[in-house]
Amino acid sequence: MGERVPQHIQNQIIRKFCETNRLEYSLSASEYAMKNSYLMLEEIINEKSSMNGIVFYSLFQLPENKIYRNNIYKNIIKRKKKIFFSVENFKLSSKNDILELEEIWDVKSVLPSCYKGY
Amino acid sequence: MTSYLDKKDIHLSKNFFKKGYFIQKVSDLKSLKTLRKAVVNSLCETIKVKMKKEKDFDRFLNDIHNTIKIKNLNNTRLNILNSINSSSEFHQKYFEVAKNLLFSLVGNELAMQTRVNLSIQLPGDASSLLPVHSDIWSGDSPFEVVVWIPLVNCYSTKTMYILKPENYKKIHSKFKKYAGKNSSDFYKNIKKNVEWINIKFGEILIFNQSLPHGNIVNSEKETRWSLNCRFKSLYSPYGDKKIGEFFKPITIRAASRIGMNYSLPNLKK
Repeated sequence: MGERVPQHIQNQIIRKFCETNRLEYSLSASEYAMKNSYLMLEEIINEKSSMNGIVFYSLFQLPENKIYRNNIYKNIIKRKKKIFFSVENFKLSSKNDILELEEIWDVKSVLPSCYKGY
Repeated sequence: MTSYLDKKDIHLSKNFFKKGYFIQKVSDLKSLKTLRKAVVNSLCETIKVKMKKEKDFDRFLNDIHNTIKIKNLNNTRLNILNSINSSSEFHQKYFEVAKNLLFSLVGNELAMQTRVNLSIQLPGDASSLLPVHSDIWSGDSPFEVVVWIPLVNCYSTKTMYILKPENYKKIHSKFKKYAGKNSSDFYKNIKKNVEWINIKFGEILIFNQSLPHGNIVNSEKETRWSLNCRFKSLYSPYGDKKIGEFFKPITIRAASRIGMNYSLPNLKK
């Protein structure tokens, strides 16, 4: 969604989020830089390790495509994993959380068409 | 100009433009009491004292400086903040208390700040001051309003001040003269024109956060307790405080939901 924060700052925020929420920080992963690449994300979600969650820097790092995003949520919930978003201080672990999160995405996606000036 | 606002809305808007704020008696007193109870209960847990009965809340809060030391104040405040902000009911009640005013002054599709703030101002404490500022100068959008809820009666130096719109207008055009000066110099210049908000528990304040406001050392004999939270029209421009990280949508209407999820049928094979 056009936002950029340096990777080391993202890592600091994620570490702090884990600390505050008593989550064990075990592995850091960076997505490939190509547009619309979610290869790393898919890899982590489908990994059959003991890892039980993924902490994102922001929820706006999820795919912009709604259908793709929904598939990710479903996959996460099916695998009984959780996803967290540090900047938004948000945890996704149920279908209700998906609705709440999607409301934010919906609003964000129409904002470029709304009045911007001041 | 076409305007179909009703008389009540027009009256509120005129007052808001003229004074920069509006104070109203809370009609939903039950919700307001729930908010105060949540704060008091969390306070009791934090400082490890016996839970209080509602009739004692006012005295307990006003006299808390006899129990809490200034050096422990921030930790106490953070504990209470974490507790009240972990409850979605608290947020909903906060909105309910201000709903009518918000619908009149801001709109009916709203975004609410994700975290409600709490101010505790002990008598003589200079560590909890908010020097004169406009929220817009630090990244808020001018489309936001602040709903300020006192948990005790607030008056004189135990309250906040705001610069009247007419005076701000004069200062705005001569702002260059503050180049190289500091906020104290600015305050000294506007001091005689600020209005001190006199407000009781049971009332709420909604104010224009683009107007310079702040507080000074509380030199009364009681502690100030107040909550504040920002609201804005959901689709109005955002400043540095964005949807998701700082604001959450709270009253999305059906037509907007339909619109946001609509896509034109695709004719391509």
